Amino acid sequence: MIDIEKTALAVDEAARSATAIPQFSSSMDITVDEAYQVQALSLEQRYKRGERQIGIKMGLTSRAKMVQVGVDEVIWGRLTDAMLVDDGGEIDIANYVHPRAEPEIAFLMKKSLSGLVSPAQALAAVEAIAPAIEIIDSRYQNFKFSLADVVADNSSSSGFVMGPWARPDTDTSNLGVVFEFDGRPVQIGSTAAILGNPARSLAAGSRMLGAQGLSVEAGWIVMAGGVTAAEALRPGVHVSNTVENLGRVGFTVRS
Amino acid sequence: MTNIDAKILQRAADALRDARDTVTVCAPVRDLLGDAAPEDAYAVQELNTGRWISDGRRVVGRKIGLTSVAIQKQLGVDQPDYGMLYADMALADGEEIALDRLIQPKVEGEIAFYLGGDLDGDALTSADVMAAVDYAVAAVEVVDSRVQDWDIRLLDTIADNASSGVYVLGSQPRDLKGLDLRLCGMVMEHKGEPVSVGAGAACLGNPLTATLWLARKMVAVGRPLKKGDLVLSGALGPMVTVEPGAAYQCRISGLGSVHVNFSG
Repeated sequence: MIDIEKTALAVDEAARSATAIPQFSSSMDITVDEAYQVQALSLEQRYKRGERQIGIKMGLTSRAKMVQVGVDEVIWGRLTDAMLVDDGGEIDIANYVHPRAEPEIAFLMKKSLSGLVSPAQALAAVEAIAPAIEIIDSRYQNFKFSLADVVADNSSSSGFVMGPWARPDTDTSNLGVVFEFDGRPVQIGSTAAILGNPARSLAAGSRMLGAQGLSVEAGWIVMAGGVTAAEALRPGVHVSNTVENLGRVGFTVRS
Repeated sequence: MTNIDAKILQRAADALRDARDTVTVCAPVRDLLGDAAPEDAYAVQELNTGRWISDGRRVVGRKIGLTSVAIQKQLGVDQPDYGMLYADMALADGEEIALDRLIQPKVEGEIAFYLGGDLDGDALTSADVMAAVDYAVAAVEVVDSRVQDWDIRLLDTIADNASSGVYVLGSQPRDLKGLDLRLCGMVMEHKGEPVSVGAGAACLGNPLTATLWLARKMVAVGRPLKKGDLVLSGALGPMVTVEPGAAYQCRISGLGSVHVNFSG
């Protein structure tokens, strides 16, 4: 048996102090269900410090990443207000262990969602859609982890940036994505990489939260999942994501 | 002009043509060409072009290859390459492709341009290219290599008609006005799963930029692009190895879809 509380405190402290820790799975048996309990409890520590949950992120939403990690299910993590980076804003790399960024799109929820819903039903609960960038950071040494490890570590969630809101009926099934560092493309893809259609990721979020007795709440942000591989951040770099029909979002890493 | 012995160029051309005719592979022709330059490999390609035209094959356009930065890095080059398109390589949307005419096919989603005007003369610009394009249409190129196990370097693929195979055009030709060729998304699906995704920017930053490179290159080598030519401008995502019996559906934002079906 793992000690959920002790593990949750350890991962919270690693995130808070931006210090890498060994994987839990290397020293203990931890199931994915237990990992979600660790995640929930570690986020409780942040809420005690005044942070507030404002959404969720979906992860492992591309076939390539699922194959890479050896799983056939997506994962999710919690987003707090402290993780929000302004469009055009700056981050300080010292606040992260080994941060990477990846292009995404974000949904703003108009209605709450929970349990089994079709992608079309999920979209009907959306207020607006934005181009977005997720800053992911694993608290584990060398960015290496098992499925349970990453879930316990809030699915590597650490920051997110959202661009201008577009209409919720914008077709997001195949929008071109150009992800740039300092104005040069580093990753190019299509939103189709997100489970074939990002609406499926939103439906998966509803199903997975519903299975834990939770809901995707009205007013929340849902980061749909990475469109391409993540790119390592470095001091001074300007990062931008331009999505067909949605526009552009960006931030800078302080020098 | 080439510095390589004409007999060696001919041997390389014959090896590639025989491999194509018999649907078998040959050894990399770089082994024959030694430390040749890209121009020498184009001389090999040109030997087969001349032969095929005299055999009655009709040239209908060009393909551009090596348009992705990743592939250029892999091959250690900083330029794309080109090959000739022939009428017998063209298949219609959804038409079944007999696998026994191909050696080791792979598919890639692209944008094709049909030219309504010539692209000739010195100092061509992107405005000339846009003015010459009659329509853009979604396409899937089925690339193939006559070289064993796709063990290609720059010289091999240039000599081998830029690893061309066959191609399939979609059926929704579109005017350039209203298209965002840099940001348009591309997804290729097999059994409902995305197997290749990308966007216009993956093709040298923009498929029109690749086409401008081609237009200038074709003027330089004396085979300028003409009204009625088709240009396959280059892959928008990674290429995918063809599975027997597979049906691939490629969608390009703004340009509809293309269906490519292979025999089992």
